[in-house]
Formats: sequence, C-alpha cells, structure tokens
Amino acid sequence: MKKNLVQAYKQAPWRTQIQWIGIFLLVLVGVAVIAGVYLMISGRAAATGRRIQSLEAEISALEMEINDLKTQYAQVSSAKSLSERAEALNMTLLDPLKAMYIEVPGYIPPSQPALAPPPTVEDISTPVLLPEFTASLWDWLRLQVFIEPNLSAESTESNDTGLISPAPTEVTP
Amino acid sequence: MRTTNWNRFFIICVLASVIAGMAGIQLIRIQNIEGAKQILADSEAYQGINRMIYPERGSIYDSDGRLLAGNEVVYEVGLDLQAIQQPETVASVASSVLGLDYSRVLGYAQMTPGNGNPYFIVLDGFVSKDKIAQLESIKEDYANRSTKRGEVRPNLLGLVWTANNKRSYPEGTLASNMLGFYSFLDRTDGIGYFGVEEAYDDLMAGEPKQVYSAIDPNLLTSLEEVPPGVTVQLTFNREIQAMTEKKLDEAIEWSGAENGTIIVYNPETGEIIAMATAPRLDPNEYWNYSELFPNPKPFNSAISSTYEPGSVFKVLTMAAGLDSGVVTANTTFNDTGSLYVGGATIYNWNMGGWGEVDMTGCMQHSLNVCLAWLGMELGPDRFYSYMKSFGFDRNTGIDLGGESHWPLKLPGDGLWYEVDLATNSFGQGISVTPIQMVTAIGAIANDGKMMAPHVVKAMVIDGKQYNIDPVVVGTPVSAETAHTLTTMLVNSLENEASNALVEGYSLAGKTGTGEIATPLGYTNSSTNTSFVGWGPADDPKFLVYVWLEKPEISIWGSEVAAPVFSDLVSDLVVLLNIPPDNVRLAEKSDNTSIAGTE
Repeated sequence: MKKNLVQAYKQAPWRTQIQWIGIFLLVLVGVAVIAGVYLMISGRAAATGRRIQSLEAEISALEMEINDLKTQYAQVSSAKSLSERAEALNMTLLDPLKAMYIEVPGYIPPSQPALAPPPTVEDISTPVLLPEFTASLWDWLRLQVFIEPNLSAESTESNDTGLISPAPTEVTP
Repeated sequence: MRTTNWNRFFIICVLASVIAGMAGIQLIRIQNIEGAKQILADSEAYQGINRMIYPERGSIYDSDGRLLAGNEVVYEVGLDLQAIQQPETVASVASSVLGLDYSRVLGYAQMTPGNGNPYFIVLDGFVSKDKIAQLESIKEDYANRSTKRGEVRPNLLGLVWTANNKRSYPEGTLASNMLGFYSFLDRTDGIGYFGVEEAYDDLMAGEPKQVYSAIDPNLLTSLEEVPPGVTVQLTFNREIQAMTEKKLDEAIEWSGAENGTIIVYNPETGEIIAMATAPRLDPNEYWNYSELFPNPKPFNSAISSTYEPGSVFKVLTMAAGLDSGVVTANTTFNDTGSLYVGGATIYNWNMGGWGEVDMTGCMQHSLNVCLAWLGMELGPDRFYSYMKSFGFDRNTGIDLGGESHWPLKLPGDGLWYEVDLATNSFGQGISVTPIQMVTAIGAIANDGKMMAPHVVKAMVIDGKQYNIDPVVVGTPVSAETAHTLTTMLVNSLENEASNALVEGYSLAGKTGTGEIATPLGYTNSSTNTSFVGWGPADDPKFLVYVWLEKPEISIWGSEVAAPVFSDLVSDLVVLLNIPPDNVRLAEKSDNTSIAGTE
C-alpha cells in the first residue's frame, strides 16, 4: 500500500529533469542579470568619471580664457589706446579754467570698486562618485551590513556622551 | 534510459560546479598571493598622478579697478617624439608657422626617444593664440584632405601644444616704475623685481600645491582648489598717472633735464596718487632692463635716488624752528648776506644781503643765511632730533621694492662737522630721496601727522577683500606749527607771484635749487631743481613734488620746477574733482549754514 502511494505521487523523471534544468537556468539568468547590471553601472560610472575629468579640464581652460579676455580688454581700453581714439575723434583736453562745477543734490560719488568675487559655498574636496557606484557588490554589501551599522551605532553613542557637537539650534534674526 | 540521462545531467552539473568552484578559488588565490599584492601596489602608481600646480599669479589693479598687470594665455609647443610619424611634415609646419629653423626642428623630430634622448622637446614656450590657431587650421586641413590610393595623408602627430599663463602688462610702460616686473620667461622659478611685483612677490605668487589627480575614473575625486595669488589694488589712478608721466616727459624735453621725478601724494592718507620717473621700462619686455638702466641708474629714482635737495628742505628747518618756539612767523632776522660757521662762510643764492626780514620773507626769498642762522639757533641736538622725527635716518617703508636712503650724518659721526648744521638747514650736505621729502613735508600738509606712504589700497586674499587703513608714523610737529607754516608758504608764493601759482586755488609751496657736489666740492654749474607744493591750503588733498635733474634752460627751481608744478596742478585739480576755492568754499559755507539751521 505504501509502495503504491509513493508511486502515485512521484514525478515523472523527465519532469524532474526539466525542473532541475529550469532551476539551473534560473540561477544562470539571475547571475547574468546581476553581472549585466553591475557591468552597466560600472560602465556608466566610468563614463561619468571621464566626463567629470574633461569638465574639470574645461573649467581650468575657461578660467585661463577669462583671465586672457580680461587682459585683452585692458589692452584695448588702455590709457594710451583711449587717448589715441579720443584724439582721432577730434576730442581735446579740457581747459581747467573753463571747467564748470555744478552741485548735484543727492549725488553719491563712486565708491572703491570691489575686486573680490561674491562669496560662494565653501568647496570641500569630496569623492565625486558615491561608493554605491564604485564598490563591488560584495564590498557594498559588507559596507551596508557590517561597517555602516557599526558606524551609526558609534555615532549614536558619541551623541549620547556629548562628544559630537549638539544638533544645530534655530537661529532667529 | 531516463535514469542514465539523469545521471549524466547530474554528473555534468557537478563537474561544471566543481570547475566553477575551482575557478573561483583560483581567482581568490591569485588575488591574494604575494605577486598579486605587488601588482596591486604597483598599479596604484597608474591610478593617478601627483602634479605640482602653480597658482595663477595675482593681478594688479589701479584705484578704479582697471587692470595694470594680469595674465594672458600663451602656448608651449613641443615634440612628443614617440608620436611623430612624419618628421618632415612636422618640421616644415613648425618652422613656417613658428619661425623656427627647419633643419633644427627636423633634427629633433628624427630623434629616437630613449637611450639618452629625451621623449619630449620644447620648441617654443611662449607661442601666441594666433599661431596656435594657424597650427590647428593646418591640422584640420590635413585631417580633411582626401587622398588617392597609395598616397599618405600628411599629419602633425607628435606636434603638441599646451596652454599656460604669461604675465602681461596691458598699459605697457605706464607706472612701470611702481609696478616693477615679473620674470615670466622662467616658468617655475620666476620672481618679481622692483616695485609692487617685488614687494608683494610672495603674496602674489601664491602657494604651489602638490595635487593628486586620479586617472582611474572610479577613483575620481574633485580636484583640490589651488587658490590664486593675492590680487592687489593700488592707490593711484591710471588717468592721473598717465597725465603725470606726460607732464614729466614734456618737462624733461622742455628743460633739457637729464632726468626727472614727480610724486603726487595724498597727505591725509599717505596714498601715492601718481609717481612718475624717467626712463620707464615696458615690463612686457623686461629683458631690456640692463640696457635702459645701466648700473648704477636706479629703476625708480623716486624711492632710490638720493640727492641734495636744496631749498625745499628749508620747509622742514622752519617747521622745526616754529615748533620748538625758537622763532615765530613774525620773528625778524637781519640778513647781512653772509654767516661764518665752523670755518666756512654761508652766502645767499644772490650773494647779497636782504636786511631785516621776517620768517615769511626768509622763506619767500629763500635766504640761506637766515635758515643757517635758524639751524644754529636750534642747535644740533634739536635740529637732528627733528630730522629724525621727519624720518631722514631711515627708509620710509613704502611698499615698493628697491627703496634706499643715504645715512643721516649726525654729531659724533666721524664725517660730521659744525658747518654741516648750517648747510643742512638749507638742504645742502644732506642727501634725501624724493619719497623721504614727500613723507616729511606731508606732515606739514596734514596737521603735523606724518603718514606712512603706500601704494597698495586693498588686497584680495582667498576671495575676500582687505582694505589697507592709513597709518600715522609720527607727529613731528604740532598742528598749530603745520598751519602756521602752511600760511607762511601760501603768502610767500603769492607775494613772490611765483610761477607755481594756479589761478583760483590757494597753494602752499617752496622752490629748491640744490648744488651738486663733485669730488672737488661744489664746482659743478649744474643743479637739481625742485618744487614742493600742496593744496588747497585750507584742506590739502594733494602734495606734489617735482625734481628735475641738471636742467639746461635754467639752474633755478623757481624757473624750471615751479612752472611744471603749476602746469601739472592745473590738470590735477580737474582729475581729482577739486573745484576752485571760491566754488568749494561757497559750497562748504552753504553746507555749514544748512547744518546750522537744522
């Protein structure tokens, strides 16, 4: 009776084979998908990195170009150049005795020019690409599972003991 | 049969798994053997490069923010010997565009790199943008050229260029005596010489930084900022400087003087408004320096040349006399035309006596005998104490490279004699620089307060602007003395109907004619002619010092330097927006009455 029951529920051998093959292919496809995604992310990260490098070079070149243009502007508007252009336009120097001085109410004489650029956000050297885009899958998992939880635990402890500065308080004008 | 298939499949899976497992184990093993670690360590050298970044040199602006010294782009053109494919083409293009010798370039291009030969050869370090545009155009033309079968397309592979900064002075020679120059041909070790470029060289050069930049894009970090050098803003205005230089050049030509210096100074703040000397070097071509300034000609005579100033120095002797109470403006002196002191006789400029004169008359007629007497009345201790207070025993400390001074002879020194006190009192036997005179006399124009002369108004450091505040370096005389002396000098100019007067403006001033010493004494007929003046007398906004060396048309300061002062001040008041006294004082009284009403 027992033997009959077993026979009644046993899969046909070809079905078992198909299942094994299916499982194997499923694992294979899974690995291929993960590898593909990893490859795609790595490729994009590398391409982005190259683009950043080229943009940084472009910034450097543009800064040089800006300085160059400033100098060229100064050359064409130099005292000598402007004087020559004024003379070419038949302009003459003012006779000091003919100068007329008029009081202009509310006139504010020009103040000292500001040469410093407007204040900007403090630039701190940081990695351009996050570890999620550069670490291997294994390293990333290790970071998430083993390292970062410990770091966040330490951080909490530090806050408890007051070693890290307290949370910013609201500043009212 | 089915069991057999299953077994085969099972065996294949196991084998594949074992092989995959072994491959995995081998991968891990390979990554952890000593050799792999070494390779990994070596590979770090290829992940990025350490570069020395030289910051952009700080710029120099005038008081209105106009660029006086900046940076322009030039290119370094060189040969990458490993990349060259067609040496003849490269040599032909390089020689025609850059004007280089064809055979020399061809020789370089045909070199085999390594084995003692370089891999890179610089052909020209300072190529303009126009020439690079020509090279790019030729390169593009070669790339787009269609070729027939068997024909080789020409290329410029191996001819490379990179952009660099080069110091540039857009105004050419303007104010070059104050700016100095930067030896930009030496790209890594260039330094500033003279003027602002020397005085602020360290600040303007910035801090070169070793920067790591990753080649591996996965290790990319944002480039570390290398802050540019300090940018400085100067106290002088470009238009006034240009006008002053023009007046000086005209004065030298008109008078036949060997040389000249004019300083325009703000006595309230110590700011240099203009400083003109001759000759002037174009700092864009600084290699002409030794030709233009053969030794011992100073680069900037306003701060480096010492000379016996003559009668302009009487202003300081009279200031000492008034301040110490030895004389007042009304004190009279009976001028007999000579004074015997320490074995020598002092005479007036006209060798005559002027009878009884007050102190204003002494200044108006520039009487050597009167001032020598005053010096003797002061005595050496008081006289030299005042001269030290006026700063004649030291440099003024102006922020320009190359300042010097002549040591002040003092009683007790081996070289000092009693007669020196008498001659020093009227500006002979004492050597000074124009900037020392300007600083000292500036105290008379500024209520007795002597200001530190300076040319830098503000600095931009790390994006923040720092303005330089005026500094009082001493109070050699009281405000009352300064006002009294200014009034005396206004009156003496007006009484004399001096060539220095400017219509509509009250000015205080004094002429100077200094004899030039030779190894045999004062045997030279040439003189140094000077004039110092300031105005408006009631509220001085400028002080002008004129020095013309060995003029030919006249030996007298009143005939050479005074008219130059007048001519310059006529234009200066317009550029400084100073209305004539009647307009200015009327406006002032209106404001006062309005304030009073309120």
